[in-house]
Amino acid sequence: MTTYTICIFTENTIGLLNRITIIFTRRRINIESLTVSETERKGVSRFTIVIKHESREEVEKLVRQIRKIVEVLAVFGYLNDEIVYNEIALFKISTTLGNKPLDVETINQQYKAWVVYWGLDYVVIEKTGNDTEIFEFFNYIKRHDILEFVRSGRVAVGKTEKGLVEYLPEEAEWEHYM
Amino acid sequence: MEAIASVMPEVIETIPVPTYINGSHALMQALVAEGVETIFGYPGGAIMPVYDALYDFQERINHILVRHEQGAGHAAEGYARVTGRAGVCLVTSGPGATNLVTAIADALIDSTPMVCIVGQVAKKLLGTDAFQEADVMGVTMPITKWNYQITSADEVPDIISKAFYIAQSGRPGPVLIDITKSAQLELMTKPFTYERCQTIISYKPRRIPKQEQVEAAAQLINNAKKPYLLVGHGVQIAKAEEELKAFAEKTGIPVATTLLGQSTISTDHPLYVGWLGMHGNYGPNVMTDEADIIIAIGMRFDDRVTGDASKYIKQAKVVHIEIDPSEIDKIIHADAPVVGDAKEALKALLPLVHPNDHTIWRNEFRKYDAIENEAITIPTLNTPSGKIRMGEVIDMLSRKTKGEAVLVTDVGQHQMMASRYYQFRRPNSLVTSGGMGTMGFALPAAFGAQVGAPDRQVVAIIGDGCFQMTLQELGTIVQNKQPVKAIILNNNFLGMVRQWQQLFHERRYSFVELQNPDFITIARGFGMDGQTCSERENLSTALDTMLNHDGPFLLEVIVETEENVFPMVPAGTSVSQIRLK
Repeated sequence: MTTYTICIFTENTIGLLNRITIIFTRRRINIESLTVSETERKGVSRFTIVIKHESREEVEKLVRQIRKIVEVLAVFGYLNDEIVYNEIALFKISTTLGNKPLDVETINQQYKAWVVYWGLDYVVIEKTGNDTEIFEFFNYIKRHDILEFVRSGRVAVGKTEKGLVEYLPEEAEWEHYM
Repeated sequence: MEAIASVMPEVIETIPVPTYINGSHALMQALVAEGVETIFGYPGGAIMPVYDALYDFQERINHILVRHEQGAGHAAEGYARVTGRAGVCLVTSGPGATNLVTAIADALIDSTPMVCIVGQVAKKLLGTDAFQEADVMGVTMPITKWNYQITSADEVPDIISKAFYIAQSGRPGPVLIDITKSAQLELMTKPFTYERCQTIISYKPRRIPKQEQVEAAAQLINNAKKPYLLVGHGVQIAKAEEELKAFAEKTGIPVATTLLGQSTISTDHPLYVGWLGMHGNYGPNVMTDEADIIIAIGMRFDDRVTGDASKYIKQAKVVHIEIDPSEIDKIIHADAPVVGDAKEALKALLPLVHPNDHTIWRNEFRKYDAIENEAITIPTLNTPSGKIRMGEVIDMLSRKTKGEAVLVTDVGQHQMMASRYYQFRRPNSLVTSGGMGTMGFALPAAFGAQVGAPDRQVVAIIGDGCFQMTLQELGTIVQNKQPVKAIILNNNFLGMVRQWQQLFHERRYSFVELQNPDFITIARGFGMDGQTCSERENLSTALDTMLNHDGPFLLEVIVETEENVFPMVPAGTSVSQIRLK
């Protein structure tokens, strides 16, 4: 199984998420993670979808099917070494009296993770990194009482010189952000 | 004082209070501006404001009241298939819309342009489980080329023009517009103006192919020893019949068609070798394994064509001319893909290909023809006694109509027999449900085809099972005085399923035998003439009676109950394993 990251640029319209995900569902491809946000061009949304698949050919077919959606402006499929990617994880750790004390120095310096909120008897630690780094930290921190653990989906940018929006249709009069 | 009083009201009246038309009238204006002449529809609660506006537009738009929304969908498909323009349906929300679903799915897979306008509950009721509310956007998302929900009257002109542009351009398909009752009723806030959509930023189908792709394709074709043309529906959609003929005649390449590609080229053309697929002709199927270059135009290598795709045309290089880039490499790898409109691609290719004459190669097909004729066609058409065979009916119909009719078929054995035995002479002459295989398609589609092509003889070929799925449309045919001729080939069975049960399930006939009604009495009940023919010696007269009848006519032909369609490529096997019996 190879991990593929699919970046989809779309117009920002209602129902588009559904339109995209049914293409995966119909082909029984499980979505590992999915994030959506507006890009540097106003009105253009960017989907980052991570899947695992054994066949590059099938992923290429999937990309072409997504491209067929009327509101989709461009689609790119990447292998991990073609992108810079990251995700964020939040750990809610119990600090009730009697629990093992947190080693904040190790957390900061060895794992590059930060306490971002102090509750009465818990803290929230934020860790960014790729999935391996996050799970390394998970394995370390699990000695404490993990009340909640959540990961965002992957966000990724291509390693090419140009920005991806360069590939969008030229005559677009997209409004750039400052 | 009096003078002033008489002036006052006038002053008040001239204060400009702009009132613009409502969403329903805007919809009518938009349809008129788009050149829509015919709508197939069925009214209901959530579409009533549109029907009210339609009342004022009866002179400009011919609305046809069907008997079931599925009928509206198939009629729109039939209309679209013969005219090349989008068929338009107008139905209400909830069940009205869900009844249209089968036809929409059918139109998508057979690349048929269609614009479905569907009522929806008022905007403030969306998501409340209001009366006749269904999530039609969600339901139709996977089976439309595009769908959109209009929630304000101002959106109407732009969305309608976009809908027609998307439905009719590129690879055509169905578009659904869900319009809330509130948007139908509310007034526009600006004057109505309509501009036909020419381009959409995120949707740019390529019409003109890239020159380098054309050149690569031409090079493969010019070096071919055994080239073979597989022609799909895309050639007729692109109206590229003449370009195809010119290309084939210059290069001397034999031409086979898919099921939906039939009638692209006249069956008596010397380069035409037959049609492909599970029940297609013997030679055209077998010879795909002999060709060194396959030139596939406007087709998608359906599993009914390829059989086991992993064993299909392994020896050949493939030139794939196709407007939908997602079809390239989807099933069969293309060595030379040409993405573009079939007409433009063939025009670009023609000057680059060398004149040739592949007589020896072409003659190889003929020896298979001889085998097929000997084993199947001649015995079928010369049955000395017993019940009438389906092939005999179609063969006789073909002769009597000189191959000029529009044949509209349903799905099953009769569909395959119609394709096997009708000798098409004119383009756009076969309207059938190919990809979806929708039983019940033929009767409403034949009606729609007749409306779209009033100058042509339209004959529906229907099975006794299929007929009972949409027979209420007899009422539509009669009310609208369309001279549709319908032939029921009655074998008292769901014949194709029975054939599979016979061949692959040891004759375990599981729920395939029908107790049929008296079809002619049903037709008469609707006010349509008809007759039954069960004897071979009466068949010719019966067909003459039907064809010469002024107005619609139903002819029921009692045929052999357990006849099988051959040749047959059993599902999942390779085309070389085609069976003659």
